Formats: sequence, C-alpha cells, structure tokens
Amino acid sequence: MNKTADDNLFGYNGKMLIVDLSARTSHWQTIPDDVLKKFIGGTGLGAYLLWKFCPPGIDALEPANPLIFVTSPLVGSRLTTSSKFAVVTKSPLTGLIGDSLSSSFMATELKKTGCDALVIIGKSASPCLLSIDDGQVEFLAADDLLGKTTSETEDAVKQRMGHRTRVACIGPAGENLVRFASITNDGGRQAARTGPGAVMGSKNLKAIAIKGTHAVSVHDAEALNIIGDDLTHRSLGPATEKYRTLGTMANLSVFNRLGTLPTRNFQQSTFEEGEAVTGEAMHQAHFVKNAHCANCTIGCEKILVTTDDGKKVQGRMEYESAFALGPLVGIADSNTVIRASKLCDELGLDTISTGATLAWAMECFQKGLLDNFRDDESHEASLSFGDGDALLKGIGLIAERQGIGDLLAEGSMRAARKIGGGSEAWAMQVKGLEMPGYEPRSLKTMALGLAVSTRGACHNRSSAYEADFSDRVNRLEADDQRGRITAEGEDFSAVLDSLIWCKFLRKAFTDLYEESAEIFEKITGWPCSADDLRIAGERINNLKKLFNIREGWTRDEDTLPERVFTEKLPTGMVAGVGLEREDLHMMVQGYYRARGWSEDGMIPEEKLRELGLAELSETVHPVS
Amino acid sequence: MDAARTDKAAKTSVAITVELFGTARITCGQHEVALELPASTSLSALASSLANACPALIGNAIVNDMSGLMKSYTLNLNGTAFVSDAPEKHIELQDGDRLLLFSSQAGG
Repeated sequence: MNKTADDNLFGYNGKMLIVDLSARTSHWQTIPDDVLKKFIGGTGLGAYLLWKFCPPGIDALEPANPLIFVTSPLVGSRLTTSSKFAVVTKSPLTGLIGDSLSSSFMATELKKTGCDALVIIGKSASPCLLSIDDGQVEFLAADDLLGKTTSETEDAVKQRMGHRTRVACIGPAGENLVRFASITNDGGRQAARTGPGAVMGSKNLKAIAIKGTHAVSVHDAEALNIIGDDLTHRSLGPATEKYRTLGTMANLSVFNRLGTLPTRNFQQSTFEEGEAVTGEAMHQAHFVKNAHCANCTIGCEKILVTTDDGKKVQGRMEYESAFALGPLVGIADSNTVIRASKLCDELGLDTISTGATLAWAMECFQKGLLDNFRDDESHEASLSFGDGDALLKGIGLIAERQGIGDLLAEGSMRAARKIGGGSEAWAMQVKGLEMPGYEPRSLKTMALGLAVSTRGACHNRSSAYEADFSDRVNRLEADDQRGRITAEGEDFSAVLDSLIWCKFLRKAFTDLYEESAEIFEKITGWPCSADDLRIAGERINNLKKLFNIREGWTRDEDTLPERVFTEKLPTGMVAGVGLEREDLHMMVQGYYRARGWSEDGMIPEEKLRELGLAELSETVHPVS
Repeated sequence: MDAARTDKAAKTSVAITVELFGTARITCGQHEVALELPASTSLSALASSLANACPALIGNAIVNDMSGLMKSYTLNLNGTAFVSDAPEKHIELQDGDRLLLFSSQAGG
C-alpha cells in the first residue's frame, strides 16, 4: 500500500467544489463513497451531479443551470489516455442532458486542486475570471478578456496567473450565447458537443484558471505500474494503428466509398469531389506533425498547415471537423477546411454543429428560403454549397451573432422552426443536436444509435457504427437485434466515459470490463468486478434517460430527421437505399425491450430499483 | 454449395480489384491493385497474392509471412459483406468483384 490520501481515499478526493458566481461564494461538499462507486466519475458522476444540482424545468441559459467539470479515478494515474474530464450541464441545444469530454492537463490540474468535481452555479454580475489555486477560489475581473479568441484568452490568463496555470475558456461564440459554443482548454482542446460554452457564457464566466499541487494517491502503485506498462505497450499495437498514422481523418475516403459520408446536408452520401479532403490526400499535402493529448501514447492528433497563397493557418484536424466543414457543406478545398476548423476553434464553436447548421442554411438558400447575406464589410455573399468564402464568413457571423448569424447561432432545429417552409425536414439534428458524419440510411445500427441517444444525434455515446462496420450485421438492413447491440454499446461507452478512457484505446483491451475492474481496484482499493462495471454502465444510461424524462422528453423525440425517411440515397454503391419509418420504429422498440423499458420508452420502477436509482426517481415529475 | 461446384469454382480464375485505403494506399502509392484469383480462395491465398503484387503492404497491412491481414486491417467485399479474418476460410469471388482494404478500427 502506498501513500495514504486524505480520509483514506485512493483515486478520489471524495469531495466537490461548489462555486456560486451570483453570491461570489464557494464551499466544499463531500461526495459519498457509494455515489463514487455507483457513478464512477466523468459523465457518470456528472449525470448524478446534474440530477442533484439542476432544478427541474429551468432554461439551460438560466443562472441556476449547473456547469459541472468532473474528473475520474483514473485521472492522475498516468495510465495512457486517462487525462480526461467531462463537462456536464443542461444543454442549450437540446434542453436535455449535455455532456462533453475533453483530454488535457486541465483534468490532472483540476484533480490536484483537491476536488473530483467542480460545480459552478449562478451568474456573475460582471465578466469573470474564476481562479482556483489549490482550492482557494477568487473571482477576478475579466472585462479585458471580452471579445478575445480562445487562444488570445488563454495567453492573457497565463500572462496574468502564471504559465503553469491551466485554462478553460470561451471565445466570442460562448460570450454571445451561440447554442453550440465550446469550452476550450489547455492549448486548444475542446469540450464542444451540446454547447457547454453557451452555458459558461450565460454565467458571465469568460475563463477558469486552475492550479493545484495535491498529489493523487493510488492504492497499489506497484501493481498499477505493471498494468500501465502493458497497456502502454498495447496502445502502440495494431489496435490503434489508424489513429497513430492518419488519425480519424482516415475515415473520410472509406466512408465516401461505402456511401456513408454525409454530403451537401445529407442530400447525398458520397462526395464526388472528395478526394482532395481525404485523410490520405490531406496527410500528404498538409501534414506537419502528430500531437498527443496529455498522458496519451497513441497520438491521434494530426497537425495540418495550409499550403495555398493565403495567410498560413496551422491547426488540428480530425474526421468530424473535416466532414462537417468539407463534404457536408460541399467544400472540396482542403485549405478552406483547415481554415474553417481553426476558425471554429478560435471563436469557440463546435465544428459539427457549425458545419451542419450552415449546411442547413445552404440548402435553404438553394431552395429560395433564405436570401444572400452581408458580411461585416457589407459585401453580399451567397450561402451556396461549395463556396469557401461564404463558409468562413458564415462562421464569423455565427460567433458574433451578426446578420444571418443570429438565426444560425440558435442551431438548425430552432432556425428551421423560425424559417419554416418545410426546412425542418432537412434540419439534420436529433433532439436539437446536429448529426455527426455517419449516414444513417446506409448504417442501420447507427441510425438507431443516433435516434435514441440521450444527448441527441451523437456518435460517441453508443459507437453503434461499430456493428455496421463489421460482419455482425448487414449495415443496409434493419432488424430487431440492433436494440440489444446499441444498448450494449451505450453501456460500454458509459463505462469508458466515466472511468475515463479514450475511446481509441478500446480495442487494446481484451476485456474492457475485466481489465478496468482490476485497474479500478488497484487505484481505489475498493473491490470491483466486471459485472459491477457493466451494471454501472447501465445505471448511468438509465440516469441520463431519467434526467431527460424529468425535463420533458417524449417518445416522439427518439427519431431521425424527416429527410432520412422520405429520400433515398441517390449516389454510389448505396444508391436507392433508404430507411423506412417502420424499420426505425421496430429498432427503437427493440432497444426499449433490451433496456427493460416500457413501449413508450419510460423506465419502470422495478428497473430503477434494480439499478439503485429508485431514490432518485421519487422526485421525477416530467416537465411539459 | 456442393463439393462439385466448390471444386469447379476453385479451378476457375476471376479478375478482381483490391481498393486500398489509409496507409496501405500511401505506402503503395496507388489506389487499387488488380488480381487474378481462383473463384474460391482463402484469405491466406488472397493476402499472399496481394503481397506479391504490392510488396509494400507486407508488414503494413499484410503479416510478414503473407498468410493474412494484420489485425489493424479488414476486407470488405463490394461494400457490403465483411470478409472473415480466418485465414483458411474461403471467399467466393466473381469477376469484377471489388475488395476494399481499410482499417479495422471503425469510427472516430
């Protein structure tokens, strides 16, 4: 046994820091051991804290909405890929649970302040820089930071607070309450999906500066080191080859060939000009170097640089950004894709929702529902698919909420409701969250995963696409087994996202549950079995669903955009393939059965009792 | 398929194309490789033929003894069926078939 932690806890600090920006106060609160065991950390513990701290039925941009940063028992262990944290809040895009993960030294620094979670409530009366230095909280003026980009903000905060400080901040998009604004941290890392940056902006909180010195203790460091060395070795093997070489960008050419690459706002699933923006082509034309997240041995990040005559731009690139700012908006110029992605990062925008909302607007323009727009120099521009200048201008207008950007900053679902004209049918979102780069008509398991995910159209919380890209199913046909596959994928992902492991490490495990249970024991000293983790995954997904039910979720929301049902794919090897409404319904019902839920997707009391959630459910009063 | 048909298929050659993705494409410097194979062929024989046609794939997508794919790669037949990774299992091929060689790590 190694160094004893406070209160004899290992792997956890056992407490959270609660900050009230309205009252400018803070206090510490114990997190009971049984809560840590049941919800682990990351998105699981975050979901529990959201349930506890978020008053039912509030608007996501109200001061009472908690903005919760959560670490995990693995953070600080130095295990590969373990320096991750979750941001959990009620999403301004979906009005349901919003959770987002980020990998950076911010995670380790936050844990070193002595907390497992930071819960921020209230709203500062003036722009605020929240400083947390070894648990000491200060509310500092941030007027001088307003309007700055994310990198400018981080630089300014480090100048002021010291270069060892880790910074999480918002850009202009978060300040302007763009509903899909991101929280940027530690040199450009993003927590972006579901719009946590807008919640941070609604609190007048421009940045958080964190420094800590508390050593994180583990129960059996010697055994953990041996396990960690083996895991590191495996992280450099065939299970991560794609991520280490081309990164997730390798998806683009494969998806294009398989007819699963959403193009021109999902009007097609192949991009005839796609070659220039494939991972292979961009690697050869633009690659500068690999980059790693904190404590990661995989190094999936690809740093690319523009090569045209314009101003040189260098930044990270991954598949989702490339798809959303490339094929989805009809852009085949790789330099424009790099510029657009970097611009989103600097302004603090989720690249997927930005690209998807602009793609919706481009289709509106194509169909005569939207007029040309004027940029800040009164140049008239079109919103045509494939127009790189329009894309870059559109991104800027969204972040500043200028002109048409004010409409688009609301996200595609709200913008479509406002414009009407049938445009809801091609607002490619689920529950308000814009869809990632997986065409559901040619990936039937993924179609279900996107439809039922608690955070809206999400590829990461179920990884349902994995079945489609395997010999387990026929990806072009629906069947009633997809519910079980999707539920199992969600539970698997919930364990990954709560411990927190990087998803790119998942194939390096022979048995994620067995191996993670052993690691959890070595870290915490608490007995843990594979079944304990399996049940925790199920419990966490049920809690997320319970939160959504409390906030007014209805069965009708577990669906896909109208286009998916009414238009068959027109091109490539999947030409003529569609998705029947009845087939999705059949798969959703199969999913509810696999979960042990009722036909209308509600959770029976018996299931809640079985998962140890009965106490929480007593307070459920769905908000209409 | 009965034994006689299997035997006949094994003796019949078909012209197929293997499309390369990811580092396989970059390493070989080409998008696809044309192969002539028995209509019923094992993954092992296919890997060996592919390695002979494109030696740069050895140690990259094909194991060093050319008996199969590296675990980091998978094969898909005509965009629909995924090919089993059992080296001895036979794949039934037809003229014009296209095999897609890409990373076995889905998503991201």
